[in-house]
Amino acid sequence: MSETTTNQEMTKLDKKDITKSMWIYYAGAELSNSYERLQSLVFCASMTPILKKLYTTDEELSAALKRHLVFFNTEGILGAIIQGIVISMEEQKANGESITDDAITGIKTGLMGPVAGMGDAIIWAAVMPIIFSIFLPFASNGSALGGIMPLILYPLITIVISYYLIHNGYTLGKKSIVSLLHGGRMKNIIFTANVIGLTMMGALSASYITLSTPLQFSFSGGSTIVIQEVLDLIVPGLLPLSAVFIIYAYLKKKGPHYTKILLTVVIVSIITSLLGIF
Amino acid sequence: MSVLGVAIFMGCYYWFCRLRFGYTFSSALLQPVTIAVFVGLITGDMKNAMMIGAGLQLVYMGVTSTPGGNVPSDPALAGCIAIPLGVAAGMNPQTAIALAIPFGVLGVFVDQLRRTTNAIWVHMADRYAEKADTKGIMRAAFLYPAAAGFIIRFPIVFIIDYFGVSVAQNLIEILPAWLSHSFEIMGGILPALGFAITLTVIGKKNLIPFFIAGFFAVIYLGLDTMAVAIFATCIALLLNLFKLKEEEA
Repeated sequence: MSETTTNQEMTKLDKKDITKSMWIYYAGAELSNSYERLQSLVFCASMTPILKKLYTTDEELSAALKRHLVFFNTEGILGAIIQGIVISMEEQKANGESITDDAITGIKTGLMGPVAGMGDAIIWAAVMPIIFSIFLPFASNGSALGGIMPLILYPLITIVISYYLIHNGYTLGKKSIVSLLHGGRMKNIIFTANVIGLTMMGALSASYITLSTPLQFSFSGGSTIVIQEVLDLIVPGLLPLSAVFIIYAYLKKKGPHYTKILLTVVIVSIITSLLGIF
Repeated sequence: MSVLGVAIFMGCYYWFCRLRFGYTFSSALLQPVTIAVFVGLITGDMKNAMMIGAGLQLVYMGVTSTPGGNVPSDPALAGCIAIPLGVAAGMNPQTAIALAIPFGVLGVFVDQLRRTTNAIWVHMADRYAEKADTKGIMRAAFLYPAAAGFIIRFPIVFIIDYFGVSVAQNLIEILPAWLSHSFEIMGGILPALGFAITLTVIGKKNLIPFFIAGFFAVIYLGLDTMAVAIFATCIALLLNLFKLKEEEA
């Protein structure tokens, strides 16, 4: 530890304080989210058990609270590692080391972007859809397990990740984020999650997008061509797969105009229904 | 449960799941398949509730995984309205999905309202911080936004679920065949939107062959979802192994 000798006794946090901080952030990461400062309020709230222990005078405590009400926003599960690091910095500061306010805010604002990117890629684009899609067939068959299992598993798995990260961040401090960002391990985890996620999405597309055409042409000789049969001879599932990639191409090109796409699907469905195309 | 009871329960449910209490817990709560479990419990028709929930889940699968927490469409409002109404009116899943879409869009505006009013509490917290009032900060972070959320969210679902049942039943009866068929088409295409969004969120073009592989694993080989999950995991891990070997060499 540090060699600074202060007259006061060193204030040390215990494991419980840090876990408590994790729970507050987990509970409220989105609850008080506002357009103005996003997660700043909950980040400050999650630091209260820590700061109350570290700073005994009202002036110090007030300054520390204000320090954590500045703009903050990241992904709430991996964000725990930032909390861990910041807690260790606050502890050192309270024990007399020269850590400026800017250093703490700098760490927070510097890390929130990259951590959010990783969190979105792992937690939201992979873990969540994978868990929900594994149990989706249960739901389609009318079984409650399709909803109960994801409701238990998704929070459980992500809370375990948060718990690990906040304690890791606290004990390793800034070193923890270096190993997280630069280690090849993170890249491999994202790659693995993405491969599983995309394959699952493909499988679900095949089972759940239903699109076929009743069109057929009769010729004077008495022969008829059923269009769907022709399509199936080329590649079965051509229409559903095309639907995904047409929408995908639009999203890539024009950006996330979900409402516009929804409306287009509604109009296309009504027109093709009237014309008997689908 | 009576229509009134269901409407009150769903209004509260919508408020609670959209409160976002518990980061990933609440986002699991607001998924259509989860909402369907509770609708099934209170209406006693688990089978139909789950089937409608599964259909809606597909539409909103990608939506919830959008980065930045900006909901482009609200699965919770869609689910809290379309699932109980669909069950009560005896709709098929496709019709219930079509009914859900406009409410999913409406939900976006409700959420904007919440995030705008939430700015009030952060200013309040600024003043509490001045006074080193940690309890005040906890109230501003949890209690006040929760109370405001109830006023914003409960009435919408309660009113529609209470008065909507008879409207929905009448609607089903007068629905012309071409329109109900277009609902079927819609219900068939809309999951494609969810998957397309997931593709853009994952965002790695060079990984798209895995999507296509999963698709045809079902079409040609007839594998079920669990089988695909197992093979996908093994393939991903093996690829990692080869990559590591390459990097070491």
